[in-house]
Amino acid sequence: MKRALFALMAIAVLFVIVPSLSAADAKTITVWCWDPNFNGYSMKEAAAVYNKSHPEVKIQILDVPENIEGKIEAGLQAGGAGLPDIALFQDYVIEKFILNYPNAFVDLKAAGVDYSKFAVYKQGPMTEGNKIYGIPFDTGSTGLWLRADYIKAAGLNPDSYQKNMTWQDVINLGAAIKAKGGKPLLAYDTTSFDTLRIMVQSTGTQFFNKDGSLNLRTPAMEKSLAILKELNDKGLLYNAEGWNNWVSAFNNGETVGLLNAIWIIGTLKSQPGNAGKWMAVPTPRIEGVEGARNASNNGGSSWYVFSSSKNKAVAIDFLKSVWASSTPDALNFYNTILKGAGAMGTYLPSRSGSNYTAPDEFFYKQQPVYKDFAAWMENVPTLLYTPNYVAMRDAVKNAILLMFKGELKTVGDTIAHAEAEYKQVTGR
Amino acid sequence: MTVARRFTFSRLLVWIFLAAIVIVSLFPFFWMLIGTTLNPNAVVAGVVIPGKEFPLNWNKAIKNYNLPVYFLNSLKIATLTVLLGVLVNSLAAFGFEKYRSNAREKVFSVFMLSLMMPQIALVIPLFKLMSSLRLLNTHAAIILPALMSPFIIFFMRQNFQMFPTEIMEAARIDGAREIYIFFRIVVPSMKASFVSAGIYMFLSQWNSYLWPLMTILSEEKKTLPIAISSMMRAYTIEYGAVMIIVGISIVPVLVLYLAMQKEFVSGLLGSVKG
Amino acid sequence: MIAPAIILYTSFNLYPILSSLNMVTRKWQGMRTTYIGLGNFARMLNDKIFWQSLGHNFLFMGIQIPIMIMLALVLAAILNQVRRGRGTLRTIFFLPCVTSLVAYSVLFRMLFQTNGLLNNLLMKLELIQSPIGWLNDPGWARATIMIALTWRWTGYNMVFFIVGMQNISNEIFEAAEVDGANKRQQFFRITMPLLRPVILFSLVTSISGTMQLLDEPNVLTWEGGPANATMTAALYIYRQAFVLNSDFGYAAALSYIVVIITAGFAFTQMKLLGRRD
Repeated sequence: MKRALFALMAIAVLFVIVPSLSAADAKTITVWCWDPNFNGYSMKEAAAVYNKSHPEVKIQILDVPENIEGKIEAGLQAGGAGLPDIALFQDYVIEKFILNYPNAFVDLKAAGVDYSKFAVYKQGPMTEGNKIYGIPFDTGSTGLWLRADYIKAAGLNPDSYQKNMTWQDVINLGAAIKAKGGKPLLAYDTTSFDTLRIMVQSTGTQFFNKDGSLNLRTPAMEKSLAILKELNDKGLLYNAEGWNNWVSAFNNGETVGLLNAIWIIGTLKSQPGNAGKWMAVPTPRIEGVEGARNASNNGGSSWYVFSSSKNKAVAIDFLKSVWASSTPDALNFYNTILKGAGAMGTYLPSRSGSNYTAPDEFFYKQQPVYKDFAAWMENVPTLLYTPNYVAMRDAVKNAILLMFKGELKTVGDTIAHAEAEYKQVTGR
Repeated sequence: MTVARRFTFSRLLVWIFLAAIVIVSLFPFFWMLIGTTLNPNAVVAGVVIPGKEFPLNWNKAIKNYNLPVYFLNSLKIATLTVLLGVLVNSLAAFGFEKYRSNAREKVFSVFMLSLMMPQIALVIPLFKLMSSLRLLNTHAAIILPALMSPFIIFFMRQNFQMFPTEIMEAARIDGAREIYIFFRIVVPSMKASFVSAGIYMFLSQWNSYLWPLMTILSEEKKTLPIAISSMMRAYTIEYGAVMIIVGISIVPVLVLYLAMQKEFVSGLLGSVKG
Repeated sequence: MIAPAIILYTSFNLYPILSSLNMVTRKWQGMRTTYIGLGNFARMLNDKIFWQSLGHNFLFMGIQIPIMIMLALVLAAILNQVRRGRGTLRTIFFLPCVTSLVAYSVLFRMLFQTNGLLNNLLMKLELIQSPIGWLNDPGWARATIMIALTWRWTGYNMVFFIVGMQNISNEIFEAAEVDGANKRQQFFRITMPLLRPVILFSLVTSISGTMQLLDEPNVLTWEGGPANATMTAALYIYRQAFVLNSDFGYAAALSYIVVIITAGFAFTQMKLLGRRD
């Protein structure tokens, strides 16, 4: 009996050993990202550019839409086993990894990347002392996307809203459309923190203090929550649960608009039937808060090279010569992904590309949206994330939901609830 | 025991009740089948009339996603788990039932206690163990921890109670070794119990999600549940293709169950004698 | 014969659990660990979200399991008397539990979303006026989780009960009939008591499953939402380790609490199960 058993065990062991024997090809670079139509597409274009001069390098791009951070955590715990050479990280999550896994990433500043050419606000989260680890990818420069046809249908002139507005202006607009029997103003994802984040960041206010402690009792938070509450109470929000319902709400014309970043443009354009209807106006300003402006940011991510990579030199060279270089090829690359996927890079010299200034047929009166968002990007304040950003985000998101349900009556209660949950979840 | 004819009204109620449960049980499957023929927008809109996009969805499922790879991975993992697992657990159960001792009973109690162990408590340290064994991102990491199952040991032990000890003794007198007794006498006569245990193990491994999600990193090692859930997290969801993959993920378990229903049920019979 | 099982058990069950004792006394984030003694347990005392999550486990246990077991018993009793189509019905009722967790969570999420099929249907039948927030109202979201669990596991338990009922010899029922007992009395006086071991078996597996509940609230109601209304202990531990600030030490400490509680449960149940008639 024992022999039979050992035979079976041996088979099991074989399954273990065989895969680990197939060593990776020395000239293959693996990249992890999560949206084949956006960052995956951009990386593919970058690979094509690099392959022109380096045909021997194979760049393999993998779509990892679920649990990418968990998987990276897994790989780092395993000393780099299973990790790719390059991975894309959300800007809000990278501080946690830099802090928890010292030396996990390659210092690209030391490798000679010129950071003066990248948007400054992108560099905060990826910097640790003298070291800078990432190659900034896209901007999350935000704007208010509105359906010009719906505004017109309510007897208003869309052109008169293409200006810097305050939230009061926006609420008035929504109420006016609603009064005429129109749709709710904004699509709102109840499982997401995005709207509030955009509002608070537009004032330059931080969610955390410099020492990492929570900083929610700020005029910006209070005003933002009050505005959200007013929007919801007046029926100006279309509450959708989850990303996909949120997308179908505005893509199917259930709302007048949405508040989000430039990267949503691909999603908007996925409905060709809406051509000529959308327009983008600057992010509304929060009145009465110091530092408030008509610009903000949501999302955005950056590329990192793992120290465990066997092809570090190639990976670095690839990122440097395509993503951080002013050669005509590289600039042309940024111009291509802008048009192809609506991916707006944060490499400043690339903004002279022809697609930045070109009129866009998809938008109302051929608005050159990229030029506008690029201009707004210059005013975006840097955000401090800290490793506890996700805990803060979820606590605030939950409190807002309870406020909408009427379980938390006032803005003060809402903030207190979020603070309490944050404290319980983080133990700080 | 016939239900008397005079209770027609209550009989009607019973049939309505059964019909309702049948509808509730089957509706998601019915909807899934329809979904495979629709475009994503129609699925979201809740259309329940079959469309014409099945070939398109099928192509997407095959081309955009490595459906055959996921399928084979799942099949390999589940099959190996069943083959090795049923052997290990039934041997242990047989040992506990037919070669009793105080020490063995103690071990058995410990096993039974861990039946209640929340998996999540194991996940973190097991993860660390796998990483130090360099087993992360291998199918072995999924198979090895699933082999020994306190539930199956408990189940098989219940079944072995029915097996007459006299036959074993007679065989021993004839000079048969224990290994011979187990494989030549016990296994053939307890087929149904083994089938039940096998189906059960197949089912739970085929459907396992959290642990593979954490340990499998690369595309070519993904299993079906992981593939489905990552398709659902994508920015644009191909609902039709998702429905096809969901449907395909159900087929093997269904075939297995239907083909071995008799053995499965009579195997259960042995375990619930009480 | 027991050796392979013991080896596997020691390496992939016992050893990890014991080795995590080392993590319990530490703040363990990534590659950085600091000894903090009983700090994790002190932190736990103030962590209402965790205790609420654990409460949800008990809530699901207390409401969903009795409903499911009753439903399964009734179905089993009916099927036991049905002559034609018994096998087909049994297969149909069993079908939900062969679908993978992920697959059925996906189907249910689409069915239950605010503008989903279920609400559309209920509105068309004029059973409700406005859509129900199956997934985004705290109360309804909990109900949705329980509905999903019941859908998936009732048939599974039913099969066990049917098999159990078939084991009860017909003579007992015939004797009861002669004594003038009606069907209801027969069910409660004969079937139920004789099924006790089977019901206990179902209870044990259901309770242990509910204690481990993670995937349904993770996939169906967006990570235990809305506002933690469906957060379970296991999901919370998972989030502490892999989603929030990756504190493996704290997550391990929380796991121990769950282990101790379930061990208590298990012990009581073992006592009950161990009593064989």
